[in-house]
Amino acid sequence: MATFARLSRKALKLTSPLSLSSHHHNPLRSLSSAAAAVQPHQQSPPPTKREIVESPDRVKWDYRGQRLSIPLGQWNPKIAVDAYVAPNVVLAGQVNVCDGASVWNGSVLRGDLNKIIVGFCSNVQEKCVLHAAWSSPTGLPAETSIERFVTVGAYCLLRSCTIEPECIIGQHSILMEGSLVETHSILEAGSVVPPGRRIPTGELWAGNPARFVRTLTHEETLEIPKLAVAINDLSKNYFHEFLPYSTVYLEVEKLKKKLGINI
Amino acid sequence: MGTLGRAIYTVGFWIRETGQAMDRLGCRLQGNYYFQEQLSRHRTLMNIFDKKPIVDKEAFVAPSASVIGDVQIGHGSSIWYGCVLRGDVNNISIGSGTNIQDNSLVHVAKTNLAGKVLPTIIGDNVTVGHSAILHGCTVDDEAFVGMGATLLDGVVVEKHAMVAAGALVRQNTRIPSGQVWGGNPAKFLRNLTKEEIAFISESAINYTNLARVHASENDKGFEEIEFEKVLRKKYARKDEEYDSMIGIVRETPPELILPDNILPNKGEQKSS
Repeated sequence: MATFARLSRKALKLTSPLSLSSHHHNPLRSLSSAAAAVQPHQQSPPPTKREIVESPDRVKWDYRGQRLSIPLGQWNPKIAVDAYVAPNVVLAGQVNVCDGASVWNGSVLRGDLNKIIVGFCSNVQEKCVLHAAWSSPTGLPAETSIERFVTVGAYCLLRSCTIEPECIIGQHSILMEGSLVETHSILEAGSVVPPGRRIPTGELWAGNPARFVRTLTHEETLEIPKLAVAINDLSKNYFHEFLPYSTVYLEVEKLKKKLGINI
Repeated sequence: MGTLGRAIYTVGFWIRETGQAMDRLGCRLQGNYYFQEQLSRHRTLMNIFDKKPIVDKEAFVAPSASVIGDVQIGHGSSIWYGCVLRGDVNNISIGSGTNIQDNSLVHVAKTNLAGKVLPTIIGDNVTVGHSAILHGCTVDDEAFVGMGATLLDGVVVEKHAMVAAGALVRQNTRIPSGQVWGGNPAKFLRNLTKEEIAFISESAINYTNLARVHASENDKGFEEIEFEKVLRKKYARKDEEYDSMIGIVRETPPELILPDNILPNKGEQKSS
């Protein structure tokens, strides 16, 4: 089967060079990333259906991968010197990662409409998406702010919500616009907080939509910052694993030399 | 290059060679634990055998998204960071002006148990929220799929329908026009108001404009990025007290100034 596939692919290449020509254009073009510059258009897309027009300049493989921090306008994401941000995280726009915070692999923090703050010693775990809406339904500011010692679990979705110090947000939770989680509260895994909901201090909530379960004991509230600090310690291990700058530029130079592109 | 320049260049080259030698020595000392960094091998658009993605030139595909196989992306659509659109066993077609937000997954099924063929068809001006999972379903024009929603095989979301955040819509469900469904499994919650229906198309337009900003930013070359970094530093707005002895420099202005076309009704402060 595999050999057949290979043969037929070869045949395809031989018979129709035109149809495949789009993905081996010259190496110069595929390396130059400025290739796909998008012209700003004034008119909004018309409601009628239109044909898909492919651009030959679209890069299929960007040798640089995804940039970690994407400045938008004059807003450059700020990362504190001892914060750990995993290499495949995307920080776009007004994002501020404060001291001791950690953002783990695969998260996207997109502060293109409003600010996102990850506070001191907080952590945003894997595959989270933090986004901020333009305005919130409640009177609160529409920025996503995570304050000190907050643990945001994996696969969380936070949009324009405020999380006060020392909270735990369980895995797979969804916090919608304008929700507020007050100090020392815990959201269970998989809870969905509807827009504008306030979760009072020292309570445990769970479910879709989130409902009150019980109040927390004093011991549990004391445990919350300890968890955040434990994750901070772990992030330090990761932080030390990464050197201040990578040596990939050597690979790029090597590749460019091999392909005969002048540096 | 003058003679002095050439001399300095040569010395620089020696020092760099020494540096690389030091690097290699360090790597050897680290032994098996050392991991050499490679160039990014992530492919944003990827062919599978004879299927290749067709992307409109006005569409935004984030560099960290992966669009694989038989995927069609229409005019003004945007595929945000970390999305996976995997059209390997069947085709995915995305209309114009649609946005698929960060970390979402769109996949197709070959056939379901009943033997029905299930491509994923997403219409025009659809908003698919963050981390949504769309599997072999049909989403009509101007529908809204909330954050973290999951649509299983054979789901049909009709025009102007809405799937609330965190909903799980079970197999072969049909969400009628103008209704909101939510929960796990998804149930009818309420009817959409007129404003909300208007808001859906508006949010799609906002996202199209926003995508344009991101697209132009992501397509920048190395020189351009460096140049802008310098510019940003230079034009960092100085605080009122800058002339005083302390000399505080505020790097960024308190308000984000986006190009005017991002939010058409910026004054009204509509949520998006």
